[in-house]
Amino acid sequence: MSSQGLQKTTWMRGPSTPLRGALLALLLERPGHGGDLANRMAARLGETWRLDTNDVYRLLEQLARTGLALARDEPKRGNHDRTHIVYHPTEHTSAALSTWMETLLPREPVRLGLQAKLAVARPQDAPRLIVALKAYERECLVLAHMVFPTDGKARSWAALCRDCTRDAVSAQLQTEVDWAARTRKRINEYLEHQPEPADASQ
Amino acid sequence: MTQLLSFLNVTAGYSDGDTEVLVLGGIFLNLCAGVSMGLYGPRGAGKTTLLRLAAGLDLADSGSVLFEGRDLAAMTAAERRWLRRGAIAFMSCENWRPPRGESVLDHVSAGLLGEGVSARQARMRAHRALEQVEFSQGAAGPTRGLSQAGCSRVMLARALVQEPRLLIMDEPAVTPSLGDRDRFYALLRSTTGERGISLLAASEEIAALHGFGVLASIAGGELCSTEPQGVVLPFSAPAGKSAQPSASGGGEQG
Repeated sequence: MSSQGLQKTTWMRGPSTPLRGALLALLLERPGHGGDLANRMAARLGETWRLDTNDVYRLLEQLARTGLALARDEPKRGNHDRTHIVYHPTEHTSAALSTWMETLLPREPVRLGLQAKLAVARPQDAPRLIVALKAYERECLVLAHMVFPTDGKARSWAALCRDCTRDAVSAQLQTEVDWAARTRKRINEYLEHQPEPADASQ
Repeated sequence: MTQLLSFLNVTAGYSDGDTEVLVLGGIFLNLCAGVSMGLYGPRGAGKTTLLRLAAGLDLADSGSVLFEGRDLAAMTAAERRWLRRGAIAFMSCENWRPPRGESVLDHVSAGLLGEGVSARQARMRAHRALEQVEFSQGAAGPTRGLSQAGCSRVMLARALVQEPRLLIMDEPAVTPSLGDRDRFYALLRSTTGERGISLLAASEEIAALHGFGVLASIAGGELCSTEPQGVVLPFSAPAGKSAQPSASGGGEQG
């Protein structure tokens, strides 16, 4: 790795950038093998992120290739006959993390899974849309239910960050639940005022 | 598990001039003993209507609300009042207007007076309840002028002192501080969980309801819940406010 400019163009691209950035922070906290880092990442992001452990291994290899992580074969704790790859920060890791922290996020496109269906739905699709919206609302509730509660006593920086992460997830899911319920209600109200049944055009 | 509270195809609404407004449209819900259920919904979604029906403060337009298998509508008003002084505790911050000059301890112990409990015993139990909600330092102070966080704790103490089997709380922690809110809900979950009290609490914030056994949302007169049965919706007749049950919320209702 010769410069920050090179880092910026190679690793801060694509949809996995947030995970790469978060991995840099975890590496700086302490080195770890892939499984350990994946567990720590899952604990920080929460269950709703649905982190794939394989993604973590893949991203660590990428970071190692770009010089932002150092992969070392080290003996396993408690079994020195066997080894595993432990990832360490490099001299570039801290600066790369700071660069990622100060880089403004690109505005992500709004692409709700149901958006395309809503955009092109025919009147006779209304029943299917309502079922899909109800299922989506429930899925959001299930995700909200997975968010671990706080005890309101966050005093450390780490606890504050964890609480704010949970708050972000909850706020997003609440908005989605409200939207799904509102849309379902609007479709129902429309159907109630139709003189002919929606399926008549089939 | 024993079923404590059941809603069987419950509808409720009100008249707005010539228009009938449906607030709850065919709600099915089962809450088992010892289970906590968080009810999320925006303002006007029907949360308070549902809670008031559960507490027997209002009666459904159609369908049945059962508490421990007994239809609340079949009880006399006096029986329902009696139920709310014992097995069901209903708490709402919004309508909390304690008398001027009343102390926190008097307020909490007042729930026991007239129940064959001596004034001394009532005050001792009130003291214990205030300790449990971590508000014993405010026992001698007046109820008027309490902060929102203090009000929530005193209300919880007043509920606990009557040793209910079902605690119903409507937006129990409306406080500008997220820390106060989360602390209160943690206290609510722990105090009711330790005693096996079923909990039905409504909030406009999903985040406040983390940690509840069942999470449900209410909107457009329908209930949607995290329970698997809540997803069941007939594919062929989804439109309109027909007699179709909307969804089940919690428990084992199919």
